[in-house]
Amino acid sequence: MLDTAREIPTPEGIELNLRLAGPVARALAWAVDLLLRVAVFGVLSIPLAMLGNVGGGIYLILWFALEWLYPTAFEVYFGGATPGKRALALMVLHSDGTPVGLPASLTRNLLRAVDFLPFLYGFGLLAMLLSRDFQRLGDIAAGTVVVYRELDLQHGAIPLAVPLQPARPLSAAEQRTLLDLAARSQVLTPERAQELASLAPRLTGARDDAAALGRVLSIANYLIGRRPQ
Amino acid sequence: MKQQAFETHYAARWDAFADWLKRAGGQRTKTQPAEPAIDPMQVPARYRELCQHLALARDRQYSADLIERLSRLALAGHQALYAARSRGLERVWQFLRSGFPRAVRRDVRFVVLAALLFFGPLLVLTFAIPEHPDFAYVVLPAKVLDDVQEMYGEAAKTLGRKREADTDVAMFGFYIFNNVRIGFQTFAGGLVFGLGTIFYLLYNGVFIGAITGHIIHSGLATQFFSFTSGHSAFELGAICLSGAAGLKLGHAVLAPGQLKRAAALRAAAAEAVPLVAGLAGMLLVAAAIEAFWSPRTFLLPVVKYAVGGTLWLLLLLYFTFAGRGRAA
Repeated sequence: MLDTAREIPTPEGIELNLRLAGPVARALAWAVDLLLRVAVFGVLSIPLAMLGNVGGGIYLILWFALEWLYPTAFEVYFGGATPGKRALALMVLHSDGTPVGLPASLTRNLLRAVDFLPFLYGFGLLAMLLSRDFQRLGDIAAGTVVVYRELDLQHGAIPLAVPLQPARPLSAAEQRTLLDLAARSQVLTPERAQELASLAPRLTGARDDAAALGRVLSIANYLIGRRPQ
Repeated sequence: MKQQAFETHYAARWDAFADWLKRAGGQRTKTQPAEPAIDPMQVPARYRELCQHLALARDRQYSADLIERLSRLALAGHQALYAARSRGLERVWQFLRSGFPRAVRRDVRFVVLAALLFFGPLLVLTFAIPEHPDFAYVVLPAKVLDDVQEMYGEAAKTLGRKREADTDVAMFGFYIFNNVRIGFQTFAGGLVFGLGTIFYLLYNGVFIGAITGHIIHSGLATQFFSFTSGHSAFELGAICLSGAAGLKLGHAVLAPGQLKRAAALRAAAAEAVPLVAGLAGMLLVAAAIEAFWSPRTFLLPVVKYAVGGTLWLLLLLYFTFAGRGRAA
């Protein structure tokens, strides 16, 4: 229940990994959207006030569009995310991983009227907490999910180092661990990477942390098959 | 095969696929050769190959950075290949010509039920209030009834307007803002086991019926029907359709049949979307008619009745006969 990773099987036989977004991120995205809409509305109401009654009509049409059509327009035509969602690096997808289309987006946004009850998305929050995929009522009806847009790579390429055969054969789990640390060493701070490398003193046999990290990288290079030239 | 050999062997193919994805996404890279890196006819096969490489990498437990890189490519490829392509204007025309009337005919029993819930109270009150005029004051506050009398009274230069709001564009905006929102809310209310929809239909039926009955009792029937006949077809029809869409949702939640509730709701919502899109269009047309045509007093009432009646007839013919006999 606490796991937000969703694996979607595809017709090609692999599984796509998506990370679902919870109520807090979505609430923040909604707040950003609300501020943006209020700002747009406020800015545009000044020239509209000067247009008198015609301005009044346009004002109401603008209000209607910002209330009902704003999310759909962005989700369908601008990459699945309103500006608020984009600020939080979220996006809306169908539950099979494809980008959201017009019918689904219309459904989930029109049913916001129910999700908003009794006040400030009470029903929506309840539905999100009870659903396996953090779907509010509109999402359930439309078959959509809100996921994180993975922008940063969690791992970098394993840095080049002189390959070094480990003293004894390593099990699959141990190899996995070393490779993961080597891949993450690009993303972690040097101090943290060295601290982690120092956790295996008998393997690395090194006196200080920097040398331990160097030893881990060398073994990792050997494990992935790089050979001394 | 060791990971390093695997990477050096296939890196060029992965890069070519990534390059194709960038082009498919419409981005332009600075150094772009004239020829695309992959022949478009080969793309599905290349995507399947990428998926196979990803599966191999996972199975052989290669390092996380390679798996992550391939997963990202696979997700992007999946989205590029399986995203529904919208055909734009052609789709809108197809919708108007056959999609919308067929959707209405498919759900005709919900439309009939919504019409009963809406027109039932409306007609009952329209005919009952002239006999028992005080009942209007039970249903509606006195201020509303007085406003209505003022809007259609002898002194009204344009019909249906209070004196403060007297430009067509302003009222057009107001009608869009108010009526389309009512339509959407009636639809959304269906999610609550259909109760919200039923409430809105009954409430609007009672409201309009009470006003109409009161108007008839006050002797302002000619002005009132002269105003409302033009847009009544589109507006009342749209309210019926929004009720039908909402009842469809409510029915899916109450009686999902063989499906799980969530699946039944998804299917019903997918089928209700054409109704909602169509009724929004109808309300837009109704708002335009109500703002620009209906208030004109220089036209004879009989002309406006004729136009109104013709629109009713046309709408009924459209929903009954349009889109029949055409291959889907």
